[in-house]
Amino acid sequence: MSGVEVKAGGRVIGAGIARHDAIEKVQGRTSYAADHALPRMLHAMLKRSDYAHARLVSVDTSAAEAIEGVVAVYTAADVPQNTVWVDVPGQTLEVGALKARSNVLADEVVRYHGEPVALVAAETEDAALAARDAIVIDYEPLPVVDDPEHALDADAPQVHESGNLLAEWELEEGDVEAGFASASAIVAEEYRTQFIDHAYLEPEAGVAWRDTDGVITIRAATQVVEHFRDVARILELPDNKVRLITPYVGGGFGGKEDMTVEPYLGIVAALTGRPVRMVWSRQESLTARQNRHAVRMRYRTGADAEGRLVAMDIDILSDGGAYALLSALVLLYSTTCAAGPYRCPNVKIRARTVYTNHTPCSAMRGFGGMQVVLGYEGQMDRLARELGIDALEIRRRNFVERGDTLPIGQELETVVELPALIDAVSERAGEPPQPDGPRRAVGRGYACNLQSYGRCIWLNDWSSAWVGFELDGTLVIRIAVPDIGGGQASSLIQIASEVLGVPPQRITIHIGDSALNPLTGTTTATRQLYMSGNAVLKAARELRAALAGVAAGLLEVDAERVEFGPGGVGEGGGRTLPFEELLAAAASVDVPWHVLATHHAPKGVPWQADESWRGRVFPDFTYGCHAVDVEVDLDTGQVRLLRYIAGHDVGQAINPTSVEGQIEGAVAMGLGYALSERVVFEEGQNLTATFAQYLIPTAVEMPAIESVVLESGEGMGPFNARGIGEPPIGPPAPAVAAAIHDACGIELTELPFTPERVVGALRGGEAGDGPG
Amino acid sequence: MFPRPFDYVCPESVPDALGALASDGGEARALAGGQSLVPMMSLGLAAPERLVDIGRLPLAGAERSGATVRLGALTRHRELERSAELAGMAPLAAEAARFIGNPRVRNRGTLGGSLSHADPASELGTVVLAYGGRAIVTGTGGERAVAFDDFFHGFFATAVGEGELLTAVELDVPGDGSGHGFHEVAGRADDFAIAAASAVVTLDASGASCAEARLALAGVDDRPRRIAAGEELCRGAVLDGPLLERVAAAVADAVSPETDAFISASYRKRVAGACAARALGAAWERAGGGAR
Amino acid sequence: MKVEFTLNGAAQRVEVPPHWTLLRMLRDAAGRTDAKHGCGEGVCGACAVLVDGVAVNSCSVLAPQVAGASVETVGGLTEGDKLHPLQAAMVSRGAVQCGFCTPGMVLSALEAVRIGAAGDDAEIRHNLAGNLCRCTGYGKIVAAVAEYRDGRAPEDFPAEAGEHEHRPEGGGSAASPGVGVGH
Repeated sequence: MSGVEVKAGGRVIGAGIARHDAIEKVQGRTSYAADHALPRMLHAMLKRSDYAHARLVSVDTSAAEAIEGVVAVYTAADVPQNTVWVDVPGQTLEVGALKARSNVLADEVVRYHGEPVALVAAETEDAALAARDAIVIDYEPLPVVDDPEHALDADAPQVHESGNLLAEWELEEGDVEAGFASASAIVAEEYRTQFIDHAYLEPEAGVAWRDTDGVITIRAATQVVEHFRDVARILELPDNKVRLITPYVGGGFGGKEDMTVEPYLGIVAALTGRPVRMVWSRQESLTARQNRHAVRMRYRTGADAEGRLVAMDIDILSDGGAYALLSALVLLYSTTCAAGPYRCPNVKIRARTVYTNHTPCSAMRGFGGMQVVLGYEGQMDRLARELGIDALEIRRRNFVERGDTLPIGQELETVVELPALIDAVSERAGEPPQPDGPRRAVGRGYACNLQSYGRCIWLNDWSSAWVGFELDGTLVIRIAVPDIGGGQASSLIQIASEVLGVPPQRITIHIGDSALNPLTGTTTATRQLYMSGNAVLKAARELRAALAGVAAGLLEVDAERVEFGPGGVGEGGGRTLPFEELLAAAASVDVPWHVLATHHAPKGVPWQADESWRGRVFPDFTYGCHAVDVEVDLDTGQVRLLRYIAGHDVGQAINPTSVEGQIEGAVAMGLGYALSERVVFEEGQNLTATFAQYLIPTAVEMPAIESVVLESGEGMGPFNARGIGEPPIGPPAPAVAAAIHDACGIELTELPFTPERVVGALRGGEAGDGPG
Repeated sequence: MFPRPFDYVCPESVPDALGALASDGGEARALAGGQSLVPMMSLGLAAPERLVDIGRLPLAGAERSGATVRLGALTRHRELERSAELAGMAPLAAEAARFIGNPRVRNRGTLGGSLSHADPASELGTVVLAYGGRAIVTGTGGERAVAFDDFFHGFFATAVGEGELLTAVELDVPGDGSGHGFHEVAGRADDFAIAAASAVVTLDASGASCAEARLALAGVDDRPRRIAAGEELCRGAVLDGPLLERVAAAVADAVSPETDAFISASYRKRVAGACAARALGAAWERAGGGAR
Repeated sequence: MKVEFTLNGAAQRVEVPPHWTLLRMLRDAAGRTDAKHGCGEGVCGACAVLVDGVAVNSCSVLAPQVAGASVETVGGLTEGDKLHPLQAAMVSRGAVQCGFCTPGMVLSALEAVRIGAAGDDAEIRHNLAGNLCRCTGYGKIVAAVAEYRDGRAPEDFPAEAGEHEHRPEGGGSAASPGVGVGH
């Protein structure tokens, strides 16, 4: 019985172990979506609209079809079901249709620059490119709707026949006017955020083929394997005739939540019967894939003399772009989070999102909960200055606590550790920075936030996982989770290892396949550790209980005393039993070696369409407090980031290295949003279609980012973890705004805080002659 | 996405390259390091019918003769940046080269390619103007020298004619009693300059004031250019804070950038002034100005 | 046209049209997908490879330009059954998330250390400008490069995922409730 090691207490949870996928990735072995090739594979490309809004008078594909090697050129009429309704990817829902209708290929009218018009399939990429170039489109330009403020004007051109109002949420709690009447200080401000691209390093890509039994199989970079159903609708096939596989994905951030290449791959594979590959260029990705919503927020906030909030009036207008996608839900997140992690008895919120002829906006890390942080934190800083109260102190006086209810009606069930986070982060920050030369000013800013983890509760979210042993004592996890880089797969390995004792390197996880693995829902909404983690935990615990029962009989001890170790089971210091023997024994008494388990998210009050609806929207929230030190060049307006500290309560860190990775990465993305990134349109034309124009931060701009990880032991994930993927992206922009104010006394309200805007504010807010 | 098809030749001598550039058969472009041209072809912004790869021509090397430093056209940016020998010969070029693209672009990109491309935001454009000197342009009729003050003709346009190649660069690098400075403001580390300035200051015999200043700006006009108004203010002056403020204002007045969708003309003017003042200030300090 | 070159030490003779980039030739003619197409503009660095030891963006080099040259991709770094120490440092420091920037990042960092352009964190960052990463915020990458530069990187990290201990030194731990700090 040599080689059997059984020892308790070797905790895998909470250890910063190396990720198995990283070992492959660092050698370039990982086969990403574009790395896959198939025999006799065709190459597909899209012809996209040059216009932001135009009638398609004609689409002439004859020259393209004549090019040697071109197999097919498809337009809208060739698509079996060209109109798709995808309200919430991968989920059933009770809220009814959110008007999320779009076209696979433009039909009669194009509504944004880059909208797909025709689909080319050819024997070589060179032939496909030549064919794309040879398609001739005759456009009749239509008036462009590019200002959301005027999209709802009576005489505004209409993007869709249904009108330009895409969605609206309104709520009022308490008596807002009475609240303001009682206020000692009232501050009002308008904040503006910009369109943002996800800018993951892996452009959209995939392959597809017709497999056995006519199953159209798509292997593509996606956050949502459940899109197989949407492709089935498009192809007018039964749901069970489309299979979606997602390999390790080169970054998602919400940009691969809606479909990208999937429908086009499916169409070519189904209509030609040939394997096909489609890889989008960076320029296509930047031009035509959905953005983060640009938002205009008007905040009016009142407080009493001690700084306690008494009233808020919030008006949010977001630019939804040309098609609905997830705009209505993104706006709901904004509505839920608009008041921030603060108590306020009287709150009025009106949030609207409108159609324009911009690239459709949809999900991106933070999902509507992110933009509003600039608003509610900017207001807290202004109130603090108005009342002469320290910026952190005024926050302390207003933080929500467990048992409080958000304006939308959700009661907070878990501890809110914001006071402890402020203490930890400000202590870590220490002495304020010193300027590095003349004409330089330095300052420090803080910002706090709350961000949900898990999807809206009326989506009836669930996750399933299969955990089972092999006879040699290795373990297998089967789960259709897409791993988009956050360690989604490796964290599940750690959870199973913790419960079943098998070391992580003896566990293999099969991910991202809608046909062969249990569906577990989308890798979105900071939900995979929370939901899939709970599903794996449940499966592992049930498996452990079943096998412990078998072992108890063999070892002649109570089942609770059976310990699981790397090679088998045992009882502290006593007999040990290798897995081979345990599994054979289990088989003999019809105890299976595997368990399929499902975790269900909590429920709330049922959805009602009327305005009186109030209640739980999300399972729970993650809270954070950030600090940043900046140096402002008073001549050029350049803002240099000196230091960044980000604190979050994560409940329990499953893998602390991965937790830090999520925090540091989200902060960097938030800092790019704060200072340099913006998708720029001019009359609907996207002017930031290259990586030379869309400026995500490099290593030079980023400061050292320090994570302060607080573990309250409370959260709804496995081992009481909270989600951390999205929450750290909200505070950077308001923290930078506060730090710039601390440095040189200017109030910036429009993102990004470009050097030009800083200079403009330093010179007394005079308007430049340009866009800033 | 990627370049469209073209004919490709890779000559091994300058006469062969000139012949290939001149021969009939559609638009021909010379390919040096390719760090601007290949991405432009991938983006569909350039589609030459024939590429003449000059990367294997014997056009490398650096030598100093008196105050003149001669650099082969295929000198790579990374050599300018990292070679101690080249940095000793032309320290302003070494400092400016750090700001070109990213390290891998600098590993491939060449001095001659960059100057011939003539991006209005070219860092090296300001270097050759601030030093002064000559572009050695070779055609089928032989070599000619073009003073750098006459080299840049406008937006991506130079004195290099059709069928000609820029084969070498001669810089007039001043010696003792002089100093250089470079300053750039960009949206990101590897981004094109919003404005960039090169300055070379030569002190008078006493060392107390500036005998001559040469100042060149990029990013603020249709080409890299010298700013006479700034240079004149420096002549005979002590380059202290108040003087540099006047220079900044004069430079801002003298340049004529256009407003685009990202940056306004007024901001570029302001940054041009700040870059000029900082480059001159650094050059003054390096020259030892005010030390005696 | 025929392009002869050396790829990770092995002679190659590949038939490609001259307008193919080095990146296309590697991926679609030579079967090496460990150089990634990220932007095609020479801006993101995901396609970085070494040509005669010098890091280049393979999207911005034409295939015939490497005729006669020695090309190395990240997959060529693994030594026997061990990761290259820089690769090991990247893994153990948590510097790899989605992994798409990683091949280019590793090769650019390797060059920076080899030529003495990674003296301190600021210089490392300067030399990694143009290797864009959207996941990590760069801090863990800089730490991994510094660890390798200082000879502190793991020398015997197995190249197969199933064979390592999973417990690198100093890999961060906050096992008990309370405040943990890292960076």
